[in-house]
Amino acid sequence: MSLAELPLLSLLLAIPLAGSLAILLWPGTPLPEQLRRVAIVVMALQILASLLVLVPFDPGDPELQLREVHRWVPGIGLDYRLGIDGLSLPLVLINGALTLVSVVCTREFSRRPRLYFSLLLLISAAVNGAFLADNLLLFFLFYELELIPLWLLISIWGGAGRAYAATKFLIFTAISGMLILGAFLGLALLTGTVDFSLTPVTSERLAMGSQLVLLGALLVGFGIKMPLVPFHTWLPDAHTQASTPVSVLLAGVLLKLGTYGLLRFGMGLFPEAWSRLAPALAVWAAVSVLFGSLAAIAQRDMKRMVAYSSVGHMGYVLLAAAAATPVALLGATFQMVSHGLISALLFLLVGTVYRKTGSRDLEVLRGLLNPERGLPLTGSLMILAVMASAGLPGMAGFISEFLVFRGSINAFPLATLLCMVGSGLTAVYFLLLVNRAFFGRLAITPVDDPLRHARLDVQLPSVASRETVPAMALAAGVVVLGLLPSILGELSEATSTAMAQVPVLLAAIGQGGVS
Amino acid sequence: MPASLPLSLQLAWLIPLYGFSGLLLALPWACGLFRRNGQRPAAYLNILVTLVAVVHGSLALRDVWLSGPHHISHSWFAVADLNLRIGLDLSLYSLAALELVTFMSLLAQVFALGYMDKEWSLARFFGLLGFFEGALSGVVLSSNLFLSYFLLEMLTLSTYLLVGFWYAQPLVVTAARDAFLTKRVGDVLLLMSVVALAAWAGSMEFTDLYSWASEAKRSGSISPLAGTLLGLGLIAGPMGKCAQFPMHLWLDEAMEGPNPASILRNSVVVTAGALVLMKLMPLLQLSLIANDVLLVVGTISALAGALVAIAQVDLKRAFSYSTTSYMGLVFVAIALQQPAIALLLLLCHGLAKALLFMSVGGVIAATNCQDLTELGGIGRRMPATLSAYVVAAAGLVGLLPLGCYWCYGQMVEALSPTALPFAVVFLLTNLLTAANLTRVFRSLFLGAPMPKTRRTPEVNWLMALPMVSLTVVVLLTPLLMQRIDPVPGIASFSLPVGLAVAASGLAGVLAGGLIPLNRFRARPIADPLRSLQNLLSYDFYTGHIYKATVVAFVAGAARFTDWLDQRLVNGLVNGIGRLSLQSAETLRLSVSGQLQSYVLTVVLAILLLLSGLSWWGGLPPLLPGGLAAAATEVAG
Repeated sequence: MSLAELPLLSLLLAIPLAGSLAILLWPGTPLPEQLRRVAIVVMALQILASLLVLVPFDPGDPELQLREVHRWVPGIGLDYRLGIDGLSLPLVLINGALTLVSVVCTREFSRRPRLYFSLLLLISAAVNGAFLADNLLLFFLFYELELIPLWLLISIWGGAGRAYAATKFLIFTAISGMLILGAFLGLALLTGTVDFSLTPVTSERLAMGSQLVLLGALLVGFGIKMPLVPFHTWLPDAHTQASTPVSVLLAGVLLKLGTYGLLRFGMGLFPEAWSRLAPALAVWAAVSVLFGSLAAIAQRDMKRMVAYSSVGHMGYVLLAAAAATPVALLGATFQMVSHGLISALLFLLVGTVYRKTGSRDLEVLRGLLNPERGLPLTGSLMILAVMASAGLPGMAGFISEFLVFRGSINAFPLATLLCMVGSGLTAVYFLLLVNRAFFGRLAITPVDDPLRHARLDVQLPSVASRETVPAMALAAGVVVLGLLPSILGELSEATSTAMAQVPVLLAAIGQGGVS
Repeated sequence: MPASLPLSLQLAWLIPLYGFSGLLLALPWACGLFRRNGQRPAAYLNILVTLVAVVHGSLALRDVWLSGPHHISHSWFAVADLNLRIGLDLSLYSLAALELVTFMSLLAQVFALGYMDKEWSLARFFGLLGFFEGALSGVVLSSNLFLSYFLLEMLTLSTYLLVGFWYAQPLVVTAARDAFLTKRVGDVLLLMSVVALAAWAGSMEFTDLYSWASEAKRSGSISPLAGTLLGLGLIAGPMGKCAQFPMHLWLDEAMEGPNPASILRNSVVVTAGALVLMKLMPLLQLSLIANDVLLVVGTISALAGALVAIAQVDLKRAFSYSTTSYMGLVFVAIALQQPAIALLLLLCHGLAKALLFMSVGGVIAATNCQDLTELGGIGRRMPATLSAYVVAAAGLVGLLPLGCYWCYGQMVEALSPTALPFAVVFLLTNLLTAANLTRVFRSLFLGAPMPKTRRTPEVNWLMALPMVSLTVVVLLTPLLMQRIDPVPGIASFSLPVGLAVAASGLAGVLAGGLIPLNRFRARPIADPLRSLQNLLSYDFYTGHIYKATVVAFVAGAARFTDWLDQRLVNGLVNGIGRLSLQSAETLRLSVSGQLQSYVLTVVLAILLLLSGLSWWGGLPPLLPGGLAAAATEVAG
């Protein structure tokens, strides 16, 4: 049996799902550490499977590949159809890598380790399913499947305000799911098909008005997930309350479901309405970028700051999608991958700081770079991470932003320039973060100390390798992708070019019809 | 690439990598993996790779001298209609600049070995210097706007890290922040232009951009507004790098960093910025305003920088402002289309300023003090440092026939027929610089020893070696210039011009020699002199102005956004949540268990629904009575 005949994509779903079940049903009372090892093995297998996909994968083919089609519930048009292309493949790889990172960096949990690891793997399976689904209903199922585990992960293992944050996350994402389902069902009803497979031109038959309504529902739905201003308020709360591994997954992988859905379904299913709305979307992107960046400057909590930076950075993806040129769409893919790596790294490092110092407050922390008593390695990696996020060349953030800006400037010059201002503001808040928390003299001043006695005798415990190794691996990924962007470019170029062609083709058909 | 190309040129792309490899080589020591023998091996390795870079550069220079210029180009990232390449320009000019960079880096590293003898994280410093050198050599070789931008940003990063080297000190923290943010503003503006050019012109090679620019100018395909914005964005990057008004603040603050890095920053980094500007010049033909901005910025920087320098009491800051001033002169020269003289000026200034900073470093190493009011009388005990200072000062000022004298002469000669005011600017800057150098010389080397300068041994050999070597080089600069520019020769100016330059220098020396340095006289107690001195010593209050404008604006916008986010957006979200909870609470109280009230509610609801439907959907009025009738009336 050759590699191409293996149901590789189903394996990508089955491995984490089986791992999740195995952990949940493991006989006896295994130690948390043993469960963690099992989860690591499962994730290693999943990564291996996703790397195996690279072998039969043809980067020159823009279409969905390695398709697997099985009838499931034909009556409602729900089929088990999987496929992978240059847009989903990098995201599947990132999903595997970041789930592994979050499993590795998990500290001993006293509460329900079994459930915890099983939920992490379940999320990974659901996210893979959403990226691979070639059927709208199947996508929706996976999209919703990831919701409950994450809600549990926040509300069981979260911080003090976890109930509020988890409920907020649940309500927002549930609304997002309803809007998406509504749009999918509306599309099927109005076009009169029961076929929910991904065929981009079915919306063509619809009147522009209904197209815009359906697209609007999708935009809000995925805009909540990305998130875009003003639907973003769940994100900072969720991040501040979630534990580090969950934040890594949330920022690195789950937000990508929003951008992926926007590109795949918003742009892919409604190309005509999309090009009609594009100028407004570019404005929305600029607003989102500036709002996120300015709000980040005002934050004192490091985790909130990183969360708001996500709001800003996801705006670039919307800008690229609005411009919809080949370079911009490739930039969107790059931005998704590099934001996944960079924000995961940032959350990992902030988590380390939090656990070692008990604070994430920029008014409290000082001088953490101290070589003997501070966190020098964490600090050095933090400098690298914030520079990458601010778009310094040589790291992944730069080439992503450059592609987005270069691809969008002809279509929307003003919005692109404003987004570049946002990129400059990123440097401002992240520099403030590094300057305040890591530079200066090591001193941790509790805010509630009325006399503001600096605690100068701090001696921070050294950081365990289970946190430094994933952080260094992510940092290496950020640098490698920044220096050798062709690795990713070759995988995704054909798909993003083809995606950019759809509106052009439609316009050509439309003009042909008129004349 | 022809096979006949000499090996040194085929492998020229390695030269920037030598520097970057220094960073990697220093990492094991910087991270504390090797602790046994201290951190010196990292420094030796870095000096070794820099030496290799110097040798490789010289071989390449010789080969280019023999076989003419070459261009090597490599594809880096090509997708769709975007083709980003790595292009290196192997011409005499760029290789000479490379030699300057690598040679100065070598000297600075040897100097650093002596200067930072007891530094605990020597390996980190040398690693950063390697990174710095790599980016810098890349910038001078680059033949491609994208690559130049890429490396300029890396230079920004390494400047930030080098300035922030002693990150535990509060002044260093703000200095590093300001250095990064100021340069970043310039870089983002430059990025805007780079992105626009990438989209409009396609290729990013400078030569292609030049032909695109002249084509665009001829055909008028670029609107004047776009051309102007493009030009302004392009000059913003070099303005930040060369510390020009109003983006000059960082260079002065950056003097909080270690001195060996200051040597490089004040000589070759600003030179690299000006070289990039020169490469961009043909693109500025699309906008006349950009050229005028260059002139204005250069003039202000030249004069104001020289004035502010005179009012500084910090030894290093007194000369960093002078760097701003000289770069202003270079900007003026570039804007007035005198690139050849600008290049010579860059060379002379770079060499002399580096020597000046070495001698300053020697003083600081010997006294652990850089406050001019606490120094004095060290001339006799530090002869090498003294002679380095004198030679560097003579090399900077147009008075004795060393480097800058000839540059001043040529410049004044070239400008006096057409742009006399700018010739005057040059002479005035010369005068002010001479006054500043003389003033500092007096308070450093002359007079009676002060408490902090009673014991000042001459610098150790690791610092003396590069200092004396560079002293010789500065003394030989005129010969070097004659060699680079044999026709029409460095002395191609008339006697009156030469006399005018010398007179301005002499006047400056006299002024600097006569102003009172006595501690009680140097600080005037009455206005307007005191206000003037404050104005200059606080750098025209630029820092305060920034704080009150740009910083306050961004901070205010951030606070406003946060307010909007918390009160309005999040408040709305929470409000909806609270409303639904509260209405549930309220409705809970209305549950009485009485059947008739339930029936009444149902009937009222149906009534409301139907009448609403009949009004909205035009349904026939099902129910008699006032409500439905009124509804149809409204609808009708």
